[in-house]
Amino acid sequence: MATDGLHENETLASLKSEAESLKGKLEEERAKLHDVELHQVAERVEALGQFVMKTRRTLKGHGNKVLCMDWCKDKRRIVSSSQDGKVIVWDSFTTNKEHAVTMPCTWVMACAYAPSGCAIACGGLDNKCSVYPLTFDKNESMAAKKKSVAMHTNYLSACSFTNSDMQILTASGDGTCALWDVESGQLLQSFHGHGADVLCLDLAPSETGNTFVSGGCDKKSMVWDMRSGQCVQAFETHESDVNSVRYYPSGDAFASGSDDATCRLYDLRADREVAIYSKESIIFGASSVDFSLSGRLLFAGYNDYTINVWDVLKGARVSILFGHENRVSTLRVSPDGTAFCSGSWDHTLRVWA
Amino acid sequence: MSSKEAIGCDIGQARQAVEQLRMEAGIDRIKVSKAAADLLQFCMEQAKSDPFLVGIPAATNPFKEKKPCAIL
Repeated sequence: MATDGLHENETLASLKSEAESLKGKLEEERAKLHDVELHQVAERVEALGQFVMKTRRTLKGHGNKVLCMDWCKDKRRIVSSSQDGKVIVWDSFTTNKEHAVTMPCTWVMACAYAPSGCAIACGGLDNKCSVYPLTFDKNESMAAKKKSVAMHTNYLSACSFTNSDMQILTASGDGTCALWDVESGQLLQSFHGHGADVLCLDLAPSETGNTFVSGGCDKKSMVWDMRSGQCVQAFETHESDVNSVRYYPSGDAFASGSDDATCRLYDLRADREVAIYSKESIIFGASSVDFSLSGRLLFAGYNDYTINVWDVLKGARVSILFGHENRVSTLRVSPDGTAFCSGSWDHTLRVWA
Repeated sequence: MSSKEAIGCDIGQARQAVEQLRMEAGIDRIKVSKAAADLLQFCMEQAKSDPFLVGIPAATNPFKEKKPCAIL
């Protein structure tokens, strides 16, 4: 018995030291191919001109902090969710509210528009992700048709439909991500690997295949194979929580925003971080990031109430946008790239163009 | 749970961690110079269809105000 105990202790220790040496090897392999910096390669690219970006619409109506928003594929409608438990669908052209539903919980941290434009998904402190079909029939209440799809053991932090209305991907404070069938509520795949709350996720552009990236309180960003449930690549260069992740439009890279006040770009084929977007004067966390259509610009919302616009290739900031009166919590570029929308703890959403 | 079982759980996790790291260390990678060149190329090709770079005149961007018309 005593010898068995000793044997197991040795195996555990030897496995741990093997893990450490593999981590070292991983860094070595990545470093071997680090022959140049992205901004050096980008020296030959023309610098960007001056940008004039202003708030073109302000969406008022939430009674508390706006936590999340998403665009409809029609490039016009927006769904947003708030700490006050309300989820609102807006027509961003007219600023009219088209639908509103009150969730049974406060802190609705996640919301998403279905690809068809006929439904929305949302969730938060209720640990669930629910789907609401959107109806224009005044006699039907949205809440009556609610369908509970996902069940986690802690808060829902992010959700996204896949390329159809039939499947939803969720991220949770319980440290996992999961893929669900909307109709049956069945769990199709779960993704384990983060060492703490998962805060964000983004699906790869459909041309690049079945992967998604997630970011968490363990400072890691992880890329997952949706079919096998396996983590295929992991990156740990941020110094604090990863609040937001977004794929570069080609699908070959992704950006992340973190409480360490930086945004970073990771190239998936080089398997390493290739750019950091930071300034000594930026000391508050980045809560949300998104790319312009070509991937040249990175829009990032911060906890110091501002939005910084970065030249992705050259690494320099090209613009700083003021307007919100509290933290920027969520930011998405419209599907046709003509505008982006930001949501804030100041209870409003702004559309910028 | 006996301490032996607790150690068993740790070993299971440690083994999984080693397998995961082995897989990650072994993937195919390309040089940053090549990856960067491809990112650049994609950007340049898509630049003309990026409304933020090209600029859409107020008339066609639904969010921008159209200039007021003088009533003659």
